[in-house]
Amino acid sequence: MVITGKWRRRRYRVERMLGEGANGKVYLVERDRRLLALKVGADTVDLQSEINVLQALEGRAGSRAEPFLHDVDDLKLAGGKEYPFYVMKYVRGTKLPAFLAARGAEWFPIAGYNLLQRLAELHESGWAFGDLKMDNILAAEYGHVELVDYGGVTAFGKSIRQFTEIYDRGYWNAGTRASDAAYDLFSFGVLCVQLFQEKALYRHTAGTLPQNRSPQELLKLASESPELRPFAGWLERAFAGGFRNAEDAGAAWSVVMRRIGTGGGPKKRTGAVPGWTKALFLLSSGALAAVLYWLLLGQG
Amino acid sequence: MKQILLITDGCSNVGLSPVVAAAQALSDGITVNVVGVLDGGDLGEYGAKEIQEIAHAGGGMSRMASTRQLSQTVQMMTRKTVVQTIQQVVQKELKSVLGGEGAIEELPPEKRSEVVRVMDELGETSKLRVALLIDASASMKPKMAAVEEAIRDLMLSLQSRQGISELSVFHFPGNGHGDDASLDLDWTTNLSGVQSLFPKLQMRGTTPTGPALLQVIEHYRGRDDRRRGGEEDGMMSGYVV
Repeated sequence: MVITGKWRRRRYRVERMLGEGANGKVYLVERDRRLLALKVGADTVDLQSEINVLQALEGRAGSRAEPFLHDVDDLKLAGGKEYPFYVMKYVRGTKLPAFLAARGAEWFPIAGYNLLQRLAELHESGWAFGDLKMDNILAAEYGHVELVDYGGVTAFGKSIRQFTEIYDRGYWNAGTRASDAAYDLFSFGVLCVQLFQEKALYRHTAGTLPQNRSPQELLKLASESPELRPFAGWLERAFAGGFRNAEDAGAAWSVVMRRIGTGGGPKKRTGAVPGWTKALFLLSSGALAAVLYWLLLGQG
Repeated sequence: MKQILLITDGCSNVGLSPVVAAAQALSDGITVNVVGVLDGGDLGEYGAKEIQEIAHAGGGMSRMASTRQLSQTVQMMTRKTVVQTIQQVVQKELKSVLGGEGAIEELPPEKRSEVVRVMDELGETSKLRVALLIDASASMKPKMAAVEEAIRDLMLSLQSRQGISELSVFHFPGNGHGDDASLDLDWTTNLSGVQSLFPKLQMRGTTPTGPALLQVIEHYRGRDDRRRGGEEDGMMSGYVV
């Protein structure tokens, strides 16, 4: 199937559907041998409001060398019905749980750090991502992370445009639904708990009265996970709104990473020198002493 | 912007048709949304049709929801109605400026951007009032905890808006004999001091949906009369697209 824009007449060949967001469906398309993602919206106003955010971000983000938004247009179906769409960069990757299952949980700290950096870029421009959840994050090679679906992005101070209950600060009786950096960091914390305690989290939300939901319960779940235990202090601060923004939170996160040593499993590679190295060292220094002794004696 | 949100689980059976009452609300500038709450059972053919017609006459939307989805459904409907109300006003403006249908879709994408920016701004900052009208007939009893939770959750979302948002709560049939509806909570911007919304509710059999709607419309009118001559309620007066 080929889509042709009504206003700008650009043509896109549709490969397959990539996913579905709150405001529409996203397809993988090809144009001039280049793969792109095309989002078709059901409602013109909702989609345009998302496009406005992307355009504002494009204007401000000096760090992004490659443009994110490529085209905005309408398409007409055979029946005569018209739908708005926009074309954006195609982001490759898998969702975090699949990524960690394939590569190992040792990639969690760096992927988390990279996600905080993505959020920091938004916060710096005065926006919160809003609807931060597993479905909206793609991870790729070397723990590289990208945010997708900007439908929830909200300027600081306004009410969050889109949210998903379990990641929502208000749902956990921990604050407002007004956009600020701490709102995203709260969702980030829930996401961490979900990554390692998914079943326990769902059991908890299903069996708890609304008025009894609290960040303390989330922290309790986190304390039962060996991967999250080093981040307990960080999570407590995030749930309490204790970070100024994601940059601040990222700095604290990297302190924890350095403490636990991110290269390998718990502390092995950065720890003490293995015994056989010591033995070899003693042996070789003994040999050196012998040689020196022989040389000195020989000189004398 | 004025809205009535009716939460019910069955058919009206006393007094004026709720569809007529909803049409009256709309002519007063109040949009009527309806949620049919069902847990397990269904509203029956009549009930389902009635909530659809009430919403249609009231210029709003109707949805079915389980108690688990209630909070989310209430949020979504309130937000969408705000957007639609603004869209209607903007459409009228566009029509008078550009001719045609005035639909935003008719504009080229570059022009849409500015119009939608103004709409988003209005949606966030205009004054909003939502009156909740809760069916408290006997079959609703096991659902009242979920209803209260949804109301509190809605208040939390409304408080996060930049514009002033007020909420009031009614249930029907009323507490007194022959009362169509009782006011549980008058216009407020904050629920944090309210312990329980429905402390001494006597669940009764009749469902006077129509007369209860009229009472809520009267409540809105009373508010507007007191205000007349004072501050202006119109939200769009400052904006010309």
